[in-house]
Amino acid sequence: MSHISQEKLQEWSKLGHRTVLGETLEMLAAENPRMCTVTADLTPTARLTGFKEKYPDRFFDVGIAEQNLIDFSAGLAIEGLLPFVVAMSGIVPMRCAEQMRSAVGYMNLNVKVIGIEAGVRFGPLGNTHYGMDDIAVARVIPNITVVCPSDPLQVHKAVRAAAEYEGPVYVRLTGGPGFPVLYPEDFDFQIGKAIEYRPGRDVAFITTGSLLAEAVEAADILAGKGISARVVDMHTVKPLDTDMLDTVFKQNKLIITVEEHSPIGGLGGAVAEYKAGFSDSPRQVMASLGDRFQKLGDHEFLLKENGLKAPELASLAEKSNG
Amino acid sequence: MVKAVNGQLVEEINRKAAAMRRNVIEMGYVAGDRGAHFGPALSSIEIVASLFFGVMKYDPGDPYLPDRDRFIQSKGHACLAYYAALIEAGFIPKDLMYTFKADNSFLSGHPSRNMKYGIEISSGSLGNGFAVACGMANAAKMKKENHRVYCLVGDGECNEGLVWEAVMNAAKNRLHNLIAIIDRNGVQLSGRTADIMDIDIEAGWNAFGWEVLVVEEGNNAAHLLDALIRMKDSRSGKPHVIIANTIKGKGISFMENSLSWHARPMNKEQYEHAIADLENG
Ligand SMILES: Cc1ncc(C[n+]2csc(CCOP(=O)(O)OP(=O)(O)O)c2C)c(N)n1
Repeated sequence: MSHISQEKLQEWSKLGHRTVLGETLEMLAAENPRMCTVTADLTPTARLTGFKEKYPDRFFDVGIAEQNLIDFSAGLAIEGLLPFVVAMSGIVPMRCAEQMRSAVGYMNLNVKVIGIEAGVRFGPLGNTHYGMDDIAVARVIPNITVVCPSDPLQVHKAVRAAAEYEGPVYVRLTGGPGFPVLYPEDFDFQIGKAIEYRPGRDVAFITTGSLLAEAVEAADILAGKGISARVVDMHTVKPLDTDMLDTVFKQNKLIITVEEHSPIGGLGGAVAEYKAGFSDSPRQVMASLGDRFQKLGDHEFLLKENGLKAPELASLAEKSNG
Repeated sequence: MVKAVNGQLVEEINRKAAAMRRNVIEMGYVAGDRGAHFGPALSSIEIVASLFFGVMKYDPGDPYLPDRDRFIQSKGHACLAYYAALIEAGFIPKDLMYTFKADNSFLSGHPSRNMKYGIEISSGSLGNGFAVACGMANAAKMKKENHRVYCLVGDGECNEGLVWEAVMNAAKNRLHNLIAIIDRNGVQLSGRTADIMDIDIEAGWNAFGWEVLVVEEGNNAAHLLDALIRMKDSRSGKPHVIIANTIKGKGISFMENSLSWHARPMNKEQYEHAIADLENG
């Protein structure tokens, strides 16, 4: 991979995940002439303005038409191109789930779909714009790999890994400007291989996406109370890293899955499905957005409302640990 | 072209439109960093004002009034224009307007169905509102009710295949009680509509069997009112569409026709400039 300097990391931390995405896509385009981007009238939102200027021949805007967005990209992939679709996670993949299944998944095509501003990132825009079900929709389709990177460097690495991977990938971005650097140094990122971010004996937080930051902070709070919390960065929700889960099942007596998504069909659901095969596995508690439409509010407000900030996660662990 | 009897009504619509523009700016400014879709709301002010204060029947004291006319804002991101009208019509108390986009408010960045305040449907995912409106019109026709369904659609929104599926279905079912109004401001999120998807909207709706009327000055209340009355009185038996050529950001000099005022926060200086623009007419 190309080297990412400390200055760059600081800049990315300030500007946030979408900026990292835009810059990474331009790097990929410079390296691979088959790589292209596809949007449905979201060029500035998707941070594709630079890409469009530099690579006009490899930039496609299908207009506000998300079903066409996916099938068109499937066509590009069949003919050997490497399309990266960038769309709002609240609309895609739900709006075009059938295209994701019948074209992209069924034919196992090399289409990469990036869902931006997932979870409740869009805050005051309201429920039509929240991505609360995108992992579930992507995950239920055979052949589609689902990756939810946490911090800016991991976004960069995940998008690169998606480009190198042969087959359909859904990459889900949560987090935004002013996000802490969780991975200050280069690290090994492999699709399907979870990262033990911090060891711990008692409770295990298993997180996906940017909520890793809250779980790490919650582990700090718990450490102060004599509770040892393991933190696992399960950046790939499909396929799940079952080796890592097996270790957690053996060593921890409580699991808290943490995700900015519905408890149905996301990380919590995936872990529970795997866990169901064991007669003696630890108890699992799900921290999520719940099975409900959200109130109106900004991102931080909604995370707090849903118990997804560090203090709430810590008290959930404390309460459930008894 | 405008009937003289409507002179007073047009004046009233223009007064309401001015108050609505002011509401849009106040609400959008109050949202601070959370930003607002100024351009999309401002292009549609005269359309929404002509509907609410020129042709529609409703009662803010009885939001469920069975024979009220329905207004469906399919381009839900322009909710500020809708809220502004509901405030002027007496559905939403004026003091609540300062909760736009606030935590726990009901005034979200896209309309969320709330009949108490006159919000007929939740919208924000483009294309859906229009298709739902067609269903509502079909139900009214089946039940032999006399109210009409008015639906505001974006020109960029017409990129959605769903819009055309609904266009076909409405024509097949001869929904003469349905009047769609397209806010043709020529700009969508990423750029000019002509650059993103340059289609002949007029020819499209015509080909699918709708009665089409183009209003060249889509920010002119007199012309809009005239078109709405003609469509209401039409005996064609077809569903109707008014294509209104509007100006995105209409009324605020630095927003008019701009590609950068689709949605964003407004600072104090810009706010003062906007208010000055409104006060100088
Ligand atoms: C299904 C869907 N796709 C994308 C968006 C994002 N989006 C919001 S407004 C907009 C442009 C709308 O353009 P137009 O219909 O011309 O309305 P205008 O803003 O010009 O009034 C887009 C792409 C959305 N809200 N819904």
